[in-house]
Amino acid sequence: MASVTIEQVRKQYGAVPVIHDVSIDIEDGEFVTLVGPSGCGKSTLLRMLAGLEDISGGQIRIGGRVVNDIAPKERDIAMVFQSYALYPHMTVAENMGFALKLKGQDKAAIQSRVKEAADILALEPLLDRLPRQLSGGQRQRVAMGRAIVRHPQVFLFDEPLSNLDAKLRVTMRAEIKDLHQRLKTTTVYVTHDQIEAMTMADRIVVMRGGVVEQIGRPLDLYDRPINTFVATFIGSPAMNLFNGSIVDGRFVTDDGKALPLPPGYSGGAARTYGIRPEHLAIAESGIPATVGVVEPTGAETHLVVKLGAVDTTLVIRDRVDVRPGQSVAIAPDLAKIHLFSSQGSRLN
Amino acid sequence: MSDIAISTPQAQMTRTRSAVGSLRIVQTACILVIALVIVSPLFMLLIASLKDDRFQILADMGSFRAFWVSDPTLANFAEVGNFSGELAFGRYLLNSLIILALTVGSGLIVNSMAGFVLAWGSVRGRALILSLVIALYVIPQESIIMPLVIMVSRAGMTDTFAVQIVPWIASPLYIFLFYQFFAQLPKELFEAAQIDGASIFRIYRSIFLPLSLPALATVSILMGIESWNQYLWPILVTQTDYARPIAVAIATFFGQDSIYWDRAMAASVLMMLPILALYLAFQRWFVSSFVGSAVKG
Repeated sequence: MASVTIEQVRKQYGAVPVIHDVSIDIEDGEFVTLVGPSGCGKSTLLRMLAGLEDISGGQIRIGGRVVNDIAPKERDIAMVFQSYALYPHMTVAENMGFALKLKGQDKAAIQSRVKEAADILALEPLLDRLPRQLSGGQRQRVAMGRAIVRHPQVFLFDEPLSNLDAKLRVTMRAEIKDLHQRLKTTTVYVTHDQIEAMTMADRIVVMRGGVVEQIGRPLDLYDRPINTFVATFIGSPAMNLFNGSIVDGRFVTDDGKALPLPPGYSGGAARTYGIRPEHLAIAESGIPATVGVVEPTGAETHLVVKLGAVDTTLVIRDRVDVRPGQSVAIAPDLAKIHLFSSQGSRLN
Repeated sequence: MSDIAISTPQAQMTRTRSAVGSLRIVQTACILVIALVIVSPLFMLLIASLKDDRFQILADMGSFRAFWVSDPTLANFAEVGNFSGELAFGRYLLNSLIILALTVGSGLIVNSMAGFVLAWGSVRGRALILSLVIALYVIPQESIIMPLVIMVSRAGMTDTFAVQIVPWIASPLYIFLFYQFFAQLPKELFEAAQIDGASIFRIYRSIFLPLSLPALATVSILMGIESWNQYLWPILVTQTDYARPIAVAIATFFGQDSIYWDRAMAASVLMMLPILALYLAFQRWFVSSFVGSAVKG
């Protein structure tokens, strides 16, 4: 196990910069996810950490050692790829033991380490099979087994669950989290799925356009997003945002709807008003809106209502009896309102 | 009352089926004719090799008797199967086999390594090298053969096995074939092996080479046929029986005074067998590949 320090790291392809002075400190044993939309540079950053991409500037340290010019095999890391990258002509046991064989370990030691990893991941019955004889989930577990058998200082995961179906993804998510809790190995996990990031990580790094937008604990990011990008990227359904300005102690949207402000808020620069769907409720008196779509999920009901011209989502914990076209009054939880400047930065 | 032909959907379906059936018959007939045209010389060769009268073989050619033998004998095979003497075809066959095995064996190693390095190595000017490789392929072998003869004579290599093997090991065509095959394998396999601690040679030997059976099979067959059928080059660089291959030796049956059809036919059958075996051994890998199971679910 080791800490990982990414300091002012840059990456450019020719004249095109893709990572701009990124700095992240990852503590020993921490589980950090890099999350962001496609093309934000999260996978490139992970590959730079693995040594599969050169670093154009800055410094990467693993366990205090600068690894900028060190080959991947010397970095004491293990990586799980999106496509699993299992060697198709080798059995599960051979796949898992390949790195140890290259290190020159004897057969007995390799067998024992492979067995230990197979026990952890329930892979023992599959050890003699070839990758093509395994299901997607089993291949994923073998890829993890190949990583843990080496006892590396850092695990790197590059969107490992994106090829699995939704149900298996939930199962594997829990398995990876459980594995981390057992092994306590420093883990850097790349995903574009914010649910994966929220549920698994100790800390989340939100990236956009090669820049770190915010680093923090999942619920901190959820409760206090630093800007409108993080506010809408973290959370599903996404936060409702209304553009407008503060007039006479109320936030008036561009289409004239007046929204209440948090108690004691005195700033006047807010240009965007944000409220999460679960922090809006149907009330007897409130802002008038028209129901557009009703989506009962069983545990809760998602409503899309028209608030002026803006489609606004509500998540109601109870079952509600409303129909499309019906008029309702909605009220925000005043303690949960987010206000942003014209540049999108958080104000309250 | 006049008869009115009513076209029901069933009747239309029956007509379509019968048209498809007729088309199939025509297709099958065409395929049979083409197959006969291709197979008949080989069959004639086999039949002629079982006849012991060379004048009768000549007389039978051009008639259906060329496809029939009433009194088959293996005498021709026994005559040409010697390892010494005037008809040492066993030796020539062995020479050809040695040349084939060493050319194909070393060719697979050299060409696959070159293809792998071009596909995955850190090579400066990769595009230029690839262009040169392709450009070399279009140069006909015959156009460089005289300078090559001079070179090998000066090197004292004439009348050896080496002279029939070394110049043909590296081939731009096979380098390019391997390059194309390796380049299409998933990048993650290379990177996973790198992280596992494999050197570039180890990645080639332990990961990429075992996955390249279809390319190895294709190159083995093409290279094998090329080596086996070499005629002009061995004539120019061999003077004695020591390393003479069977393709050159067979030509000695076609003398100025007489042609030994019976022996030539038997020798030709013998010559055909190893290359046929090579093809049968490798043909199943021509189209099959199990690389797909390496990635994704």
